[in-house]
Amino acid sequence: MLSGYLYMEKKKRRILHKKQILIAPFILVFCILGAVVFFISRKITIEMSESAIGNLSESLDLISNSIDAILKREAQFQKMIAKEIANAAKPEDFVLSYDRNDTMVKLSLILSGETVGISNTGEAFAEEELDFSAGKTVDGLPLSGSYINSMGTWAYTIRCPVIREGKEIASLYIEYIYDSVDDMFPGSFYNRDAKLYLMDAASERLVLKPKGIGERDAGHMSLDDFYYANKILETDIQENVAENIKNGKDVMFYHDIQNEASLIYMWSVNEGAVYLIGYVPVQAIQREGNAVNQNILIVVFVMLTAFTACCCLYLFFERQHDKIRKDQEQERELHNRQLQEALQTAQIANNSKTMFLSNMSHDIRTPMNAILGFTTLLEKDADNPERVREYTRKITASGQHLLGLINDVLDISKIESGKAALTIGEFSLDDMVSSIDAIIRPAAKAKNQSFEIAVTGIRHTRLLGDETRLGQILLNLLSNAVKYTQEGGSIQLRISGLRQHSSQYEHFRIEVEDNGYGMTPEYLKTIFEAFTRAENSTTNKVQGTGLGMAITKNIVELMGGTIEVFSKEGEGSRFVVELELRIPETKAEEPSGKAEGDARTPAAQKAEAECLRGRHFLVAEDNEINAEILSELLLIEGATCEIMENGRLAATRFEQAPPGSFDAILMDVQMPVMNGYEASRTIRAMEREDAGTIPIIAMTANAFAEDVKDAMDAGMNAHVAKPIDMELLKRTINQYLK
Amino acid sequence: MKGILKKTAAILTAGALVLATGACGQSGTDGENLIRNEEEDRVEITLFAPMERSKPDVENAARTAFDKTIIMAEEQLNVVVEYNTYTAVDYQEKSYDDVALDRIRSDMDDLYLLNPDVLQKMGEEGRLADLSDLACVKNLRDVVKTANTVNGKLVGIPQEVVVYGLFVNKDMFDCYSLALPDTPEEFLECCKVFKENGIETPVGANRWWLETFVFAQAYADLYNGGNTEAEIEALNSGTRKYSDYMRKGFTYLKEMIDLGYIDAETAYTYEAIEGEGPDFLAQKTPIVMAYWGAANAETAYGNPDFNLQIIGFPSERGQMPVVSVTGISVLESSERQQEAREVLEVILSDEALQVYAETNQVISPSQNLEVDCIEALKPLNDLVNGGTYVLASNAGMKVEQWGNTCLIVRKLLEGASVEECMAEFDKLQEESLP
Repeated sequence: MLSGYLYMEKKKRRILHKKQILIAPFILVFCILGAVVFFISRKITIEMSESAIGNLSESLDLISNSIDAILKREAQFQKMIAKEIANAAKPEDFVLSYDRNDTMVKLSLILSGETVGISNTGEAFAEEELDFSAGKTVDGLPLSGSYINSMGTWAYTIRCPVIREGKEIASLYIEYIYDSVDDMFPGSFYNRDAKLYLMDAASERLVLKPKGIGERDAGHMSLDDFYYANKILETDIQENVAENIKNGKDVMFYHDIQNEASLIYMWSVNEGAVYLIGYVPVQAIQREGNAVNQNILIVVFVMLTAFTACCCLYLFFERQHDKIRKDQEQERELHNRQLQEALQTAQIANNSKTMFLSNMSHDIRTPMNAILGFTTLLEKDADNPERVREYTRKITASGQHLLGLINDVLDISKIESGKAALTIGEFSLDDMVSSIDAIIRPAAKAKNQSFEIAVTGIRHTRLLGDETRLGQILLNLLSNAVKYTQEGGSIQLRISGLRQHSSQYEHFRIEVEDNGYGMTPEYLKTIFEAFTRAENSTTNKVQGTGLGMAITKNIVELMGGTIEVFSKEGEGSRFVVELELRIPETKAEEPSGKAEGDARTPAAQKAEAECLRGRHFLVAEDNEINAEILSELLLIEGATCEIMENGRLAATRFEQAPPGSFDAILMDVQMPVMNGYEASRTIRAMEREDAGTIPIIAMTANAFAEDVKDAMDAGMNAHVAKPIDMELLKRTINQYLK
Repeated sequence: MKGILKKTAAILTAGALVLATGACGQSGTDGENLIRNEEEDRVEITLFAPMERSKPDVENAARTAFDKTIIMAEEQLNVVVEYNTYTAVDYQEKSYDDVALDRIRSDMDDLYLLNPDVLQKMGEEGRLADLSDLACVKNLRDVVKTANTVNGKLVGIPQEVVVYGLFVNKDMFDCYSLALPDTPEEFLECCKVFKENGIETPVGANRWWLETFVFAQAYADLYNGGNTEAEIEALNSGTRKYSDYMRKGFTYLKEMIDLGYIDAETAYTYEAIEGEGPDFLAQKTPIVMAYWGAANAETAYGNPDFNLQIIGFPSERGQMPVVSVTGISVLESSERQQEAREVLEVILSDEALQVYAETNQVISPSQNLEVDCIEALKPLNDLVNGGTYVLASNAGMKVEQWGNTCLIVRKLLEGASVEECMAEFDKLQEESLP
């Protein structure tokens, strides 16, 4: 058992270990794959990010260079106009003749030596309206700071000297608006995710938000506003930016904008006179990288899913296979176990029956030997009446033992074949106990054993049940107790009432306890099995069929009760029987403690002994020897009889005889022509006055309870089993002849 | 089991086929033009406004509401509305109104968001289109039409009726057991108590909105006395003087300045809300003046840490809300005037105004719409709904009110006397007379 358990544990551990070995490579593969994917993904991200920043820089460079080019073209064009004016006879007229266009919205001229000039609108113009202090230039021409012009839009002015014959005769001021450069901005910068403004570096005012380049929520006024709106509040960043703007350098840095990692750029235009500023979410510029990474992840995911699915399928089929194999193994094991058990049972049964036959052989031969031996001695000592009586008594005892043996064998055979039935009738528990006491006490006394009976807590002593079978249970248990208790031992019979489950049933417990030899634990397990005995009868002086306990258990179970045994070798045994028997409804409770046998007076006993004298019986018996024995026995008792060979003859004889010819009919059951049952029915059916009243007593070797019942059903009055016990016969006849 | 395997195999095969087909379909063939030249058929309308277009999820409620209606127009009309914006960084720069004037005169944009003074001035110059034939006009409240009709032309329609009131920190009033003031005298008493208790400047002010104080006292009787049209006619004809009305308000304002209840020096330089707002929110100043929408905007006075109440300005007739009607106008000379008018039809429809009013919780110019306001605004709302208010802009008056009064109040802040200020009004009135 233990080794089997250990084997199973080892097997489980082996399987677990096998699974762990199987899982480990999977995990390893996943880890390696994950690490590789992470490495590749990271590498791609970094490379794509660098590439994206490069692309962004190039785009900003492109825009910056375009604006530069526009400014330069404007400056070059302005130089051409300045030459034209220099060549004009009246420069003021030239100015006044100019009509504004979308780029050059105002043209003004201040003659050298004067502070106020004239504009193409006819208004006076003074340079002090403009701020050239930043010192920025375009193509060598001074560039003013940005300002809101009379059109309400941001503008700047380029100043160009008008030189005639090598001498500066005037300054030409042309006002340009930033709106004119709007068209060269891309319509959609990073899919409108990027923000872009044009900032005047000197005033740090945002002077142009190109159309189509995103939307924003605040900060459209100045660099400070831009910082504030986008929460770029770190002073070190602002100082660094200021330093770079001051030097006309480009700036690009990472910063979160609205909780999104972004790249902020400030790109110098025209050597820092104007800046392109804005930001783009990192996600927007890394779109390609993200797409590549996503695709890699999808491929990896699909591969991993497929790999996992394959593993799952493999494991699934493996488990299915294992399950089927286990089921088959279990089935095979069960089959083997069943076969083994069947074999064991068969062997046990065979052994038991071999032993039973051996015991039977011994047990039958022993009394038979006594009978035959004493018969021989009887023949030899026929003339010695004393010896004859002695031998006869011993032959009778051996015959009784042999009869008991045969009864037991037949009883167990009957019970085991399922043919046994209970004969339910009303009986007195007290009477039964008295009867048992009368039987057991002499036997106990003979072995110098004390025998005590205690009846407690029984509410109803009159009960409905099979008195004979109940008596059989008690006798079996008590005779065993006497048998297996050493001389001088003690035996106790306790009958105690238990809590009733129903008011209609008496629930009680029978305990038989002795301090005898007791039983080994091994024997206890088989005590209720047929053909077993504590000691082999051939080696033990205690004799018996070994069927008593099996019969007892079967009867108890037939009665719906339970039987248990507790025993310890050398200390004794205790049998506990629990039964529930129905309480009769109408009969009044009789006082307990009286036994029928005790009630009989000596006079009654004498009358019973003399009851057969002078009687004449009709006997139906087909066996000549039995007929002769009965005839002789009756003769000894002073009675006569007529022997008929079968039932029909008996019935005919009775019919023909005048009424009162016979005191009773002693009827065998198994007879040729007509059996005892039919004969009884025939007699009872006759139309004569004593046909219904004449006692018919069955005398048959069919000694089972159902045989008794059949006899009663056939109209007989009583049943006396063969071999004939004259005392019992007399008692029975006496009962019906009264 | 077999069934499951078959189904799985079928699904996987189908998936593989779909992917393979998809992959094959994405590559271009030789010689195919890979660039898609989109036809740009959407008309571009330009709008001049103080603020840029916002993203839909930004926090500033005012801009979001306006943008929502613009998006409705873009979707319905298949146009693009491009914003041109300007906001002065400080008082030394050109104001938004100045730039708006320049841009209108230079035909720079198609649509303009205009303050009352600019609207009236440009209307008088004939630079704004007459909008009275728009379908949405029939829904407008009379006050809107009255305020924005110049020479018989409806030159601007707003998306909200801007109501100005006093924003007060009720906790501070309770702290000094002060009842909310109804009259100028009660208001002065409150300021006095605050001042005595160490609050240096009880009234926070900026360079734009102090005039609301003046309007409440000046025109409380004119707009609530039952003889409004006759009195305006008398002003237009010169039989009555604006200075007679304004003197009371200016005198009161001067007294407040002299008593130190208003800091004229800072008020002259403060931009609206940006200047005086932080002290009010920090509970250093118990009273400021602002427009209705500021109570709903997180970027203004929405959700403060104290019990905010918005009440009318003090006047002899009790608390008095001041209504200023701005407007969205169409440039008369715009090449895309028709498209611009169609945009207005959408953004001023009841459907759009409902969205606007619900978003900003403001009083709608449409008489068909009523929107619940927050608890703090209920006193002001009750007064306006009861017909108790004064107009801070009225294009029916020959002398433009909103802009001119603002400028003259600034002169008072600079130290001019009340009489000097009144002389300015008399001069303006003289110039307006035929």
